[in-house]
Amino acid sequence: MVPVVYHPGYLKYSFGPQHPFSPLRLEMLLDLLKSLGHLPAFHAPPQASREDVLSVHSERFVRRVEAASQGEESPELVHYGLGTGDTPVFPGMDEAARWLVGGALEAARLVLGGAGEVLHLGGGLHHAQRDQASGFCVYNDLAVAIRHLTKAGMRVAYIDIDVHHGDGVQWIHYDEAEVLTLSFHESGRYLFPGTGAIHEIGRGAGVGRKLNVPLEPFSEDESYLEVFEQVSEAALRWFRPDALVIQCGADAHFQDPLAELLLTTRSYGKIFPLLRQYAHEFAAGKAIFTLGGGYSFDAAVRVWALLYHVLQDLPLPERLPQDWQERWASHLREPLSPTLHDPERCYPEIPRKPQIEQHNRQIARRLLETVHPYWK
Amino acid sequence: MLVKDVMNSPVLSVPEGLSLQEAHDLMYANKVRHLPVVREGRVVGVITDRDVRLACSPLAKGTVASPSTPVSKVMSHPVITADPLDPVEEAARTMRTRKIGCLPVLENNQLVGIVTGIDLLDALLKLTGVEKPSGRLELRLPDEPGQLALLTGYLADQGVNVHSLLTYPEDALTVRSVLRVNTQNTRALAEELRRQGLEVLWPPEKPWM
Repeated sequence: MVPVVYHPGYLKYSFGPQHPFSPLRLEMLLDLLKSLGHLPAFHAPPQASREDVLSVHSERFVRRVEAASQGEESPELVHYGLGTGDTPVFPGMDEAARWLVGGALEAARLVLGGAGEVLHLGGGLHHAQRDQASGFCVYNDLAVAIRHLTKAGMRVAYIDIDVHHGDGVQWIHYDEAEVLTLSFHESGRYLFPGTGAIHEIGRGAGVGRKLNVPLEPFSEDESYLEVFEQVSEAALRWFRPDALVIQCGADAHFQDPLAELLLTTRSYGKIFPLLRQYAHEFAAGKAIFTLGGGYSFDAAVRVWALLYHVLQDLPLPERLPQDWQERWASHLREPLSPTLHDPERCYPEIPRKPQIEQHNRQIARRLLETVHPYWK
Repeated sequence: MLVKDVMNSPVLSVPEGLSLQEAHDLMYANKVRHLPVVREGRVVGVITDRDVRLACSPLAKGTVASPSTPVSKVMSHPVITADPLDPVEEAARTMRTRKIGCLPVLENNQLVGIVTGIDLLDALLKLTGVEKPSGRLELRLPDEPGQLALLTGYLADQGVNVHSLLTYPEDALTVRSVLRVNTQNTRALAEELRRQGLEVLWPPEKPWM
């Protein structure tokens, strides 16, 4: 059984009822796993300390988060990405964010202690930067876990399937040779945060080790999987990491209200087993899986339930429990899908499909051509 | 954005008696392509790596210059220059229409900097690029007073910060505005802007949702 790291403190990371990054998604997911009879014994992490956070964030930034967390108001907060529409301040923000960091760090400790795969049932705050909160992310739990692994001498490959570029993780490790970052996302030409172009390949010792696959808006299952397999396999075969850290954002799903990729659950049903396969083939079976973005309650919970089932080698349920559905549909006041998988043909045909596929193929080719000279 | 914001300063310059060989070596050592040529503190010409190579090339028309030729024999003159307070677009227009690769920048007749095509590319990146994490909004607005105010006023009401804003004429009746805003949730903004009657081109609607 793959250990599942979780603490009720995760639910305190909440920007308010109208905010897309809602802890309700996690509550729904836990409730679903319980209804399906699969709620595991969680591995409860200790809360991360200030020093843990300082392994990737600047002291002046952490000081601002702590002050804001205690209700201090200051006009300079906005320069640290705090108190914005996306990342508003809430009481206890520092503590809540440190619960998520604690979870990622605990997952890293488990891997160092000999565990194979670990699921961190939360976190994935990939936009948080060294000196700045950004895009719903205060502390970068992923980078803290990666730094913990590299300090112990491991080489880490970070894979990010969130629909947004994993910019925080990329910039924090931009000049590090021992960290490969690989982000698949909707092109920054169109989507937040705007970065993640193929020419961002790292700096200094890190050059050739930061990879970005910016996909066309309205990319679909087949095209995504084609470039995902091509680039992931090439990069991992060359880099040979000691462990993978994987951000499993669910917002590339076609129902997501914040973005424009068109993955269905069928893609995720292939991506998650592929990631496990890569972990075994290229990283001695060691991998940390985290959650991430995913703002359609209906889609995100199904994608992450799928992740859970794949990791625990459980047979996939076809229909979702009636009582769970009724409970949450009435709570959210929106209909929920009755099945784990999306139905066939769940959105209209995309007229530009051939051009989109062609474009993505070319992006993957140009990326690999750009980094190849550095792969020695 | 002004020339002084994008120019290179201090700038490497050479006396008119310098040889082509020395000018060539200096440009390669410093990784530059343009050298203002100075006499008694005044700019009298510009010599480029291309001028040097063409002058000494057996493929050149006329006589082939020897590497010891002084730069004054090969340099371009009189010099077209810029003022530090010129707007960058004016510098760009001058370089484009005169088909030249650089403008020495003069203040009180003293050489204070140089602007090259590369600096203008940097300016373009700064104007259009992504300096901070942000989302993109693109609208088609009627070319009428108050349209942009309507848009930015709404964004201000929502507490959304505009990192950059580019507006250019599309046709006689409309302008395109491309904004970078400090939010991931541009789809919700777009929906509300559409409700207020504005034509939002990006992010597009997803008809199945």
